[in-house]
Amino acid sequence: MSFPIKGEHLHKKYKNQIVLNDVSLTLQEGEIYGLIGPSGAGKTTLVRILLGLEKADSGKIELFEQRPTLNAFRSLGYMAQSDALYSELSAYQNLSFFASIQGLHGKAKKARILEVAKAVELDKDLKKSVAQFSGGMKRRLSLAAALIHQPRLYLLDEPTVGLDPLIRKKLWTLFHYLKEKGATIIVTTHVMDEVAQCSRVGLLSEGKIIAEGAPKALMQRYHVSSVEDIFIAMEKEGAKK
Amino acid sequence: MRNLFAMARRIISQIVRDKRTLALLIVAPLLILTLVWYIFGAKASEPNLAIIHYDSSDYMSAFAKNDYERMTPLQARQALADKKIDAYVDLKNPVKVHLEGSDPQRNGLAMSKIQKSMQKVQAITVSAMKDELTDVIKAQKKGMQAEQQTIAQMSKAMQIYAPGALAQITQNAPKVEEPDSPQKPEKVTLDVSYLHANDDLNTFDAFGPAMVGIFVFLFIFMIGGVSFLRERTTGTLDRLMASPMKNYQIIWGYMIGFGLFVIVQSFLLTCYIVYVLQIYNVGHLLDVLIIVFILSFSALSLSILLSTFASNELQMFQFIPLVIVPQIFLSGLFPIDTLPGWVQAIGNLMPIHYSTEALRNIMIRGSEFSDWWLDGFILILFSAVFITINILFIRRQRPLTS
Repeated sequence: MSFPIKGEHLHKKYKNQIVLNDVSLTLQEGEIYGLIGPSGAGKTTLVRILLGLEKADSGKIELFEQRPTLNAFRSLGYMAQSDALYSELSAYQNLSFFASIQGLHGKAKKARILEVAKAVELDKDLKKSVAQFSGGMKRRLSLAAALIHQPRLYLLDEPTVGLDPLIRKKLWTLFHYLKEKGATIIVTTHVMDEVAQCSRVGLLSEGKIIAEGAPKALMQRYHVSSVEDIFIAMEKEGAKK
Repeated sequence: MRNLFAMARRIISQIVRDKRTLALLIVAPLLILTLVWYIFGAKASEPNLAIIHYDSSDYMSAFAKNDYERMTPLQARQALADKKIDAYVDLKNPVKVHLEGSDPQRNGLAMSKIQKSMQKVQAITVSAMKDELTDVIKAQKKGMQAEQQTIAQMSKAMQIYAPGALAQITQNAPKVEEPDSPQKPEKVTLDVSYLHANDDLNTFDAFGPAMVGIFVFLFIFMIGGVSFLRERTTGTLDRLMASPMKNYQIIWGYMIGFGLFVIVQSFLLTCYIVYVLQIYNVGHLLDVLIIVFILSFSALSLSILLSTFASNELQMFQFIPLVIVPQIFLSGLFPIDTLPGWVQAIGNLMPIHYSTEALRNIMIRGSEFSDWWLDGFILILFSAVFITINILFIRRQRPLTS
């Protein structure tokens, strides 16, 4: 079994604030890994460090079992918390640009754009300028841009924030579909009902992964009925100590 | 290569779809230059002048009625206070000038006109003196004629009574030579010739080359800087960083994408000032275009560099008073030879300084490539340095893979 992404003993400090404190994380191929935790826990920083957009103070990162290279980025789809789209351009032009820089050209590019647009249900809005899009539409277009080059590894930072339940459900169906096809997905989220759909979850609190495992196993271990309660249980434990 | 063009194509479609930016890039410089053309190209109006105490003066003829209004001292003082006249001349001896004084330019105009009139006054004085002298000479001549007559009568008498003595006197008498009639002095005139240009060159012609540089720089700086800043703030730069795109491809993609608009902009702008506003230009249009073009590259690369230090649009615009305004003043628009050394040194670090120098040489002095290549080279050097720093900065955004 190969590890699409591996981070070992990652430390990160901003001035005096410790953001990551000895975080180790290994993803297995073909799983959906949910990174959950309260805001400010360091989820986004962890994702950015795994991507190489930020440098950890210490620790080691491996992408597809080697030091990160530009070529590794070809197999990587990143969706940031911000939509990261060119609002002057149309949806089609946005997707076309992101497809081009990933090496897609000509007919293959066009076909792929239509395919991902359908997957996020934006195929009828491709000609519209992004400036006219609603928040949810932008979010979906941003996801489409991360899917466009059929990467093997997805890093999705809060992909479903601000989306209505129906579309959220559809997107999770899409994630499962991608997983079936062999992709590995790491997703950060606040929404607890999404946690249950992950193969494994990591609970990040104050720069540390406090618990990791399959959602059901975790719930059993801590004798709680939802993953959310694990945080509370952990807090109580901490208080006892 | 394909990445580079994808990047450039994206920037081009972004600008084309954003009509306002397009207008700012293309139309705004034309509009402002037209305005500047009217302001600097306008001929200054004639100064309004008056004279007082003219009745008893001999100099009145030097002050033509069309140019100098006749006023009483009271009227003149009132008119000066109301800014109806710029100055009045008091012809009572010694001649005095009273200026309104609040506008140095008007002062200068009034003074130069009054000085012209004063030259006439001097001519009048000189001819009056001449007249006096000729009167004196005439009177003396009359006296001499009378004496000569007496002498003639005396010598007649002596011929009769003592002819021997007379012969001796005429032998010893000194010969009187007739004085040459004085030559008319030549009239002194000034013959002015110009090494470059001619006396039609107005302020706009001299400022024009600097203005072109300033506006091209300003608009490219604003648009280029903000558009790269947005790349950072909206997170699209992160998306590019998480793609196989190389660092230099991002920066050069910007250069190429904007380069197209820069070509269009500098072409329109140059043609407009040369053919429509008819700025004085003896150089080749192509030379002018090349300088404007490489100047905008330094503007673009500098703006991308500075956008690194801004976290929003407002902070980007805060660079304008810091980066653009000093360039305007030190660009050569105003003479800087007499400024302290450190100010001149700062001026030498500014791209617009070199573009102004080169454009002036090309447009007014008709310089060829061999005369302006150094200025052009320095501008390219600026761009090269800025671009290199930009690529290094971008590399920092992707610390692991560099």
